Amino acid sequence: MDDIDAMFSDMLQEMDLLTQSLGEEAESAPLPKPSTIPGPQEMNFSVGFTDFNASLHNLEDNDLDALMADLVADISATEEKFATEKDTSKGSAPVAPIPSQPQSNFSLPASNDTSRHATFSNSIAAPPPPPASKPSKDELEEQVKADKIKLALEKLKEAKVKKLVVKVEITDGSSKTLMVDERQTVRDVIDNLFEKTHCDCNVDWSVCETNPDLQTERGFEDHENIVEPLSTWTRDTENKVIFQEKKDKYEVFRNPQNFYMWKKEKQSLKDMKEKDKEQLLEENFCGASVIVPDLEGVLYLKEDGKKSWKQRYFLLRASGLYYSPKGKTKASRDLVCLVQFDNVNVYYCKEYRIKYKAPTDHCFILKHPQIQKESQYIKFLCCDDEWIMTLWVTGIRIAKYGKQLYDNHKAAVRKAAGSATWANRTIQASSSPSTPSPTPKAKAANGHAPQPAVETKGSSNQTSFPPPPPSMETLPPPPPDPMLPPPPPAPPSTTKVNKFPPPPQFPQSSFPPPPMDDLPPPPPPPPEDSELPPDFLPPPPPFFSSCGGEALPPPPPDPMASLPPPPPAPQNFASSGGAPPPPPPPPPPPAPAPAANKPAGSIRKVAPPPPKRTTPQLAAPSGGNLMSELMTAMQKKRTQ
Amino acid sequence: MAAWDLNVTVEDLGPDAPPLQISVNSDLHIGGVILKLVEQTNLKRDWSDHALWWEQKQQWLLRTGWTLDKCGVHADARLIFTPQHKPLRLGLPNGATLKMRACFSSPVFRTVMGICRVLNLRHPEELSLLRPVEEKKKKKDKDSSEELYDLTDVPLTAGSVQALYNGMPAHFADSPKTEAVYKMLSVSLPSPAPEAIAKLYRPASVVDKTHIHTRWLDSSRSLMQQGIQENDKLGLRFKYYSFHDMDPKYDAVRLTQLYEQARWAILLEDIDCTEEEMMLFGALQYHIGKLSLSQDVVSSCQGMDDLESALKSLEVKMVGDSNSTDMLDNMTAPELNDYLKIFRPKRLTLKGYKQYWCKFQDTSISYYKSKEDRCGEPIQQLNLKGCEVAPDVNVAGQKFCIRLLIPAPEGMNEIYLRCENEKQYSQWMAACKLASKGLTLLDSSYQSEVQNIQTFLSMQRSSSAAPTAQTDDSINTHSLVSPRYQKKYKPKQLTPRILEAYQNVAQLSLTSAILKFLQIWQALPDFGISYFMVRFKGSRKDEVLGIANNRLIRIDLGVGDVVKTWRYSNMRQWNVNWDIRQVAIEFDGNINIAFGCVNADCKVVHEYIGGYIFLSTRARQQSDTLNEELFHKLTGGHEAL
Repeated sequence: MDDIDAMFSDMLQEMDLLTQSLGEEAESAPLPKPSTIPGPQEMNFSVGFTDFNASLHNLEDNDLDALMADLVADISATEEKFATEKDTSKGSAPVAPIPSQPQSNFSLPASNDTSRHATFSNSIAAPPPPPASKPSKDELEEQVKADKIKLALEKLKEAKVKKLVVKVEITDGSSKTLMVDERQTVRDVIDNLFEKTHCDCNVDWSVCETNPDLQTERGFEDHENIVEPLSTWTRDTENKVIFQEKKDKYEVFRNPQNFYMWKKEKQSLKDMKEKDKEQLLEENFCGASVIVPDLEGVLYLKEDGKKSWKQRYFLLRASGLYYSPKGKTKASRDLVCLVQFDNVNVYYCKEYRIKYKAPTDHCFILKHPQIQKESQYIKFLCCDDEWIMTLWVTGIRIAKYGKQLYDNHKAAVRKAAGSATWANRTIQASSSPSTPSPTPKAKAANGHAPQPAVETKGSSNQTSFPPPPPSMETLPPPPPDPMLPPPPPAPPSTTKVNKFPPPPQFPQSSFPPPPMDDLPPPPPPPPEDSELPPDFLPPPPPFFSSCGGEALPPPPPDPMASLPPPPPAPQNFASSGGAPPPPPPPPPPPAPAPAANKPAGSIRKVAPPPPKRTTPQLAAPSGGNLMSELMTAMQKKRTQ
Repeated sequence: MAAWDLNVTVEDLGPDAPPLQISVNSDLHIGGVILKLVEQTNLKRDWSDHALWWEQKQQWLLRTGWTLDKCGVHADARLIFTPQHKPLRLGLPNGATLKMRACFSSPVFRTVMGICRVLNLRHPEELSLLRPVEEKKKKKDKDSSEELYDLTDVPLTAGSVQALYNGMPAHFADSPKTEAVYKMLSVSLPSPAPEAIAKLYRPASVVDKTHIHTRWLDSSRSLMQQGIQENDKLGLRFKYYSFHDMDPKYDAVRLTQLYEQARWAILLEDIDCTEEEMMLFGALQYHIGKLSLSQDVVSSCQGMDDLESALKSLEVKMVGDSNSTDMLDNMTAPELNDYLKIFRPKRLTLKGYKQYWCKFQDTSISYYKSKEDRCGEPIQQLNLKGCEVAPDVNVAGQKFCIRLLIPAPEGMNEIYLRCENEKQYSQWMAACKLASKGLTLLDSSYQSEVQNIQTFLSMQRSSSAAPTAQTDDSINTHSLVSPRYQKKYKPKQLTPRILEAYQNVAQLSLTSAILKFLQIWQALPDFGISYFMVRFKGSRKDEVLGIANNRLIRIDLGVGDVVKTWRYSNMRQWNVNWDIRQVAIEFDGNINIAFGCVNADCKVVHEYIGGYIFLSTRARQQSDTLNEELFHKLTGGHEAL
């Protein structure tokens, strides 16, 4: 109990300091300080949303709890990280001992002290470090001193990270309050919200900002850093963050033909085959440069500072939005650039017919994110109907973000699949129906968690921390098989690493993904297996029948090979048929190839989970089967 | 069987030597003929590359096992005994001419493979040979001897494994002469003089653009069969706009040549772009040119360069992370302090520039009334993060202004900073530039940014002088844009615009600058479309058919608009009626089109479509071996089989 108390007071002090530093950065005017729990409120006041103050009073207990949990996780993560660093530096093996870490955190009050000094002094003035480190120099020995400086720097870094408390409105009328920091992407926030709400986790969920002044709405892209756009808001802003499903967010990846072949009638594109869609996406997003839909057409433009809307013929190019001046051709050389996309974002607008006398209500604007009020620097555009508006806005997003959008979508799909299977799994496991099974264990491991809210935090901590290393170690089997597309665990972890150069300082943000990805492996097989056949199987039959005349069959496992066969004119080959040597026996090669791939694939994907499965009753049966299958497959290979 | 006499001209005996007469039987095989021939010449040399060329039939007799009878050779045949590999003058995408040996007896497709192997160009299937433009100026300046690179001494390596030596394929490292050739191949050439650009042929319309395709050689027949003689000039170009597996580590030559082809396509208005795009292309050309000049090819290939810089930055990071005292030192950020003139344009005011004491710290500028007031509250602090920075410079007029558009909730604040001299300008400009990206003076790129700005200023200084080609640092900006913009803007007007675009690319490495150039090129709407003049079945007027890597488009010549698009993915089959020279294509849903070609041969169209389909079969992780047979099957037509 003493421990917990000490920790709690430590934590509060820590938060004090954090908020002070924040206050410094936000240069905010003093606002009325409410009483009760000082920590979170100060956080909020430093953020400086006026409505926020009010909303704080309305905060329910669980919101506060959640916030506290965030903070705890935040602080302990920093220290854990430091603790491991210290361990390794002292020569002990990096075993990542979960239970021992908390201990080391809280049994080292001295180091906490210095850190406090450091953060404190730094947060007050810009060139602070010397004073911070000097007192400790006098008091302590060399080794400890070095450690402390390191810790101080770590803390300092942490303190410098901008954090905001955000109230996110959800379409069902409720709201959630989150703390977000500078390093978090929108994707992290969405994942966080998935955890906290019980929505279906599909890819359309997005975090949007609304601006009542301009009557705009924009869905943040998954890769954006959430703090950045939020910190451009003015202090007295009425802007809101909304968590909602937006169908147009990734529509272009569901139905690329509607965007890339927009000139054709939508009806005729309706039943495009999935394979063709994929090819379309590949062509436009996977080449050396992303191809922007070749949009063109008449839009209304509200000229700088004027009230009237003028029709202009607009064209979208990768380099910007252009229009062709009156009396000129559409040739590239005559185009006038309205705006390039480097510094602007695109926003949907509401009810501009009334506000700006727009010809229709289907308007969008392009503006620098920092502009929050009407200005001559905003480009106002108006479309004939909603679909055209979606076309243009999506086109502009593609031009602006390029392949990133495609990657975001892929990640989102992976996530969605992961969370869906997660839900399935817990139900099957039939342990605790609503909460994921590992939770109790997590609580035990992280014992020090004082509030109930930490439970969720703890669970994410627990599941995320231990698994990653084992997953790396137990997974070696996969690499040898290069044919299989996405070894599920690897990509997420790498992307994480990229996005978060600073190590796990904010566990609930950076870590939820791993648990999801650690768990899915069992479920993915079905979907991915079903993907495999189309990739590997189709080519052989049509292919060989069409080019039977030749001696050496072309590359059989080549997925694209299915393309050429149809075209070769029968006429061409009719003449060839007689002369060259008789048709060889092509079928054999392709047949073994896919066969060999397939079992390996399914096994590979399912096999890894069993070792680290926490609920053996589920994994064991299937795992056992697969293991034996794997064995037989290996033996077969050996005999061959 | 009765013996008869066969006349064979042996080229090695000299042009005037009479044909040798050998006595043969009809069932003597070709190898036997060659043996007899060689014995009769009494010359001791390596005959292994020689083969028999049948002049009347325009064909090689390469199957040594076939008998004369089987080949159809009779006493009236005039055969020539000649080497299969002959020198060829090759016009490269970068405009240089290279003399090298090429195979005259194998199909052009394989000849190109051989050429590319020597040049160290991967993926030869994307390139092909074409006849040069009919040179009218030949009479005019015949004496102008073009610089000729010579590679004829280099043996054609049979193996495909390229050992690297000194950062270049071993066969280039033999002599300084060949090293120079490799440098020419792998490093982009300096910008041409603007007059040179203006003098070259530019297609004025889409119809003009169709003419290039009358010049492609047939990939399935040999050079000799297509009337190409020893020492003739041919162009080597990327023919298919589908570039597979571009890897800067292995593709130094390929990247450079592709860049050169793209650059010339833009300079010669082969592909249209907007003014903004042209400025960016200009800026990238300038940047690439500058970096290429300073690059020492022999000591480091580009891959190494990147690796080294990556290692260096890693080192810096490690040091920065581990050395805490260093980090503490770094906490005190450097500043810029100086008197600058500031001007804030507002509506209805005529106030001019006013002098203030300015301090640049982190990403903000604070300004004070005077130096003495610097400890107090600044008059204003401007945070430049996310702002737009534009130069407003006239070196001749000694005007060095920085235009800042600083975003604020109410809109953008426009502010001008006026500097006294170049040095001050370049420092403050670089700082503003970095700050707009959220970087401080601490950032490692600061010094190079200052440097870049200075060199660009010196460029403006020299551009008023006589136009010259790119020498050291100076360059005429007219040589970076197409003649249209040369006419539209004076160098004085053009330089600031290119400078503006340049600032966004100045920090790119050579390779990434080239890749960026290619990327923007490939993102142009008209990229990768090859135009053919055709007449559709049932139509009475000429139309243009565009062939791209994934689709065919039909363009109405009258309007110049795309009328129809067909995608290969919907294509069921296509075939050519060689008798009436008509290409017929069937698409899903019973859509049939047929057309004849007006100026190019329909074989070229056939080859283009088949070629793109062939290229699309290249899987990502496929080995280097090229499936030649599939290519010929898809592109060859009836003659190939």
